Amino acid sequence: MSADIPLQPVAAPTLGAAFVGWLRKRGGVLAVFLALFLLWEYAVWLFGVKEYLLPPPSKVWTEFMKRSDIVLSGAIVTTQEIVGGYLLAVFVSIPLALAVARSRFIEESVYPVVVFLQIIPKIAIAPLFIIWLGFGFTPKLLIVFLLCFFPIVVSSVAGFKAVDPEVMDFAHTTGASGWRMFFKIRLPQALPDIFTGLKVGAALSATAAVVAEFVAADRGLGYLLQQYNGQLETPMVFAIIVLLSLIGLVVYYFVELVERLVIPWHVSQRPAGVTGI
Amino acid sequence: MTAARLSEVPRTGVAVTAATPARAPIDIAGVSQIFQRAGQVTHALDRVDLAIAGSEFVSIVGPSGCGKSTLLKIIAGLISRSSGTVRIDGQEVQGPYTNLGIVFQSPVLLDWRNVLDNVLVQIELRGLDPKQYKARALELLGKVGLGDFKDRMPRELSGGMRQRAAIVRALIHDPPLLMMDEPFGALDALTREQMRIDLEKLWLDRRQTTLFITHGISEAVALADRVVVMTPRPGRIDRIIPIDLPRPRHKDVLASRRFTEYCDMITECFMRHGVIKY
Repeated sequence: MSADIPLQPVAAPTLGAAFVGWLRKRGGVLAVFLALFLLWEYAVWLFGVKEYLLPPPSKVWTEFMKRSDIVLSGAIVTTQEIVGGYLLAVFVSIPLALAVARSRFIEESVYPVVVFLQIIPKIAIAPLFIIWLGFGFTPKLLIVFLLCFFPIVVSSVAGFKAVDPEVMDFAHTTGASGWRMFFKIRLPQALPDIFTGLKVGAALSATAAVVAEFVAADRGLGYLLQQYNGQLETPMVFAIIVLLSLIGLVVYYFVELVERLVIPWHVSQRPAGVTGI
Repeated sequence: MTAARLSEVPRTGVAVTAATPARAPIDIAGVSQIFQRAGQVTHALDRVDLAIAGSEFVSIVGPSGCGKSTLLKIIAGLISRSSGTVRIDGQEVQGPYTNLGIVFQSPVLLDWRNVLDNVLVQIELRGLDPKQYKARALELLGKVGLGDFKDRMPRELSGGMRQRAAIVRALIHDPPLLMMDEPFGALDALTREQMRIDLEKLWLDRRQTTLFITHGISEAVALADRVVVMTPRPGRIDRIIPIDLPRPRHKDVLASRRFTEYCDMITECFMRHGVIKY
């Protein structure tokens, strides 16, 4: 028995040591990013590329700083759409997935309809929402909701249904009630799959908000993007693209952080992927 | 003696006393199991009759696919039978029987719980208070050599350690009946040997009625009061061999001529049915 005792886990590193460790691991990525920006700046200057075609990063920054008020207030609007639509999707899709997994009737009647609806290009529905609900916040919220909804439902259903039959056999010998079994076994077992869906949804949410604003809006980053694009203010277009990416990134990593806190037993088991910042 | 020591675990508040011997006699009468799939009818079990006394240790040996696992699941009420009756403690089994502990070939621990909490999930699922069982859980974990591993996650343990945790989980609520479905089937030979020794010790403490399914002939003989030998499909009881060997079954018992003779009797049953050929 003693031959296969696993190694003792090492003590948690201090904050400073953790930063050095992080830098050692991620320093390469940072260096590549920095090199790309420098190359971009230099190439634009070297080849005399017109600013409305490809502005240098420095120009993007100075233009952004000039109009940061407008852009940041737009960013707040868009962030609200992203977060609101995403949360709505989370609160609707997980209970729905549970219902599908627990009820054969719902699985055979409602779920096929949900899957069929998934095939409809959601973005094509966006103009309809404008007709029905106008230019305000609600249609954007619904489009973000629609795009995030399906991946969360599909993976949550998979999670709730993928129960090890022997674990259930064991659980049945305890005489546990359905709810107790759900909270002690089915839900924790489903969480890794649920989080997979939550992360896919999070990655889609920023795209959804921008597309919704493209269709019809009078505020938000998608709206501003179209405005600046129309006026060939390319540095501002770049600034907004970068800002949108950052918002998407923050949303995604927030979900990943929650995942780490909720299911550390699963996260630590998984090899660190490209997203392991 | 050891049973009395268990009862002295301080402040468990759990009624584990030596005064109430664990007894759960099992009466199996005319149990058959027929599966029908895609028009094909498979007789998994054919009229099995077996009476197991309270506190008896019974091993069931048989070739793969003889329906021995099916029989265990039928007795535990986890699957329904085609015909026949199963009574435990005089009560007919209809639906999952809960006054037992069960161990499968794979440990089926919950990935998100450490060893101690995996043991206590038995208590939580039964709606009992895990705090009252903690001391007993730690004592049992200590007995199987997992005392220092109570905080480890299942993935940090070896296969043998995981299975030990699963056995403790099956015993934590002190059930009168223990069912084991090839519990050592996935372990290496050395671990398997040690687990067998430890299982006998645990059983001698409480003498739960135990049903132990295996395809290891010597393992079946070494543990059991009686060995039930099954035929290949359709699973029938071929022979029931009472094992009259002293306990605990130390290595000199296992090296004795009588032990070898018991093993030979089982081997001959299998040779008669063409399960083993020379």
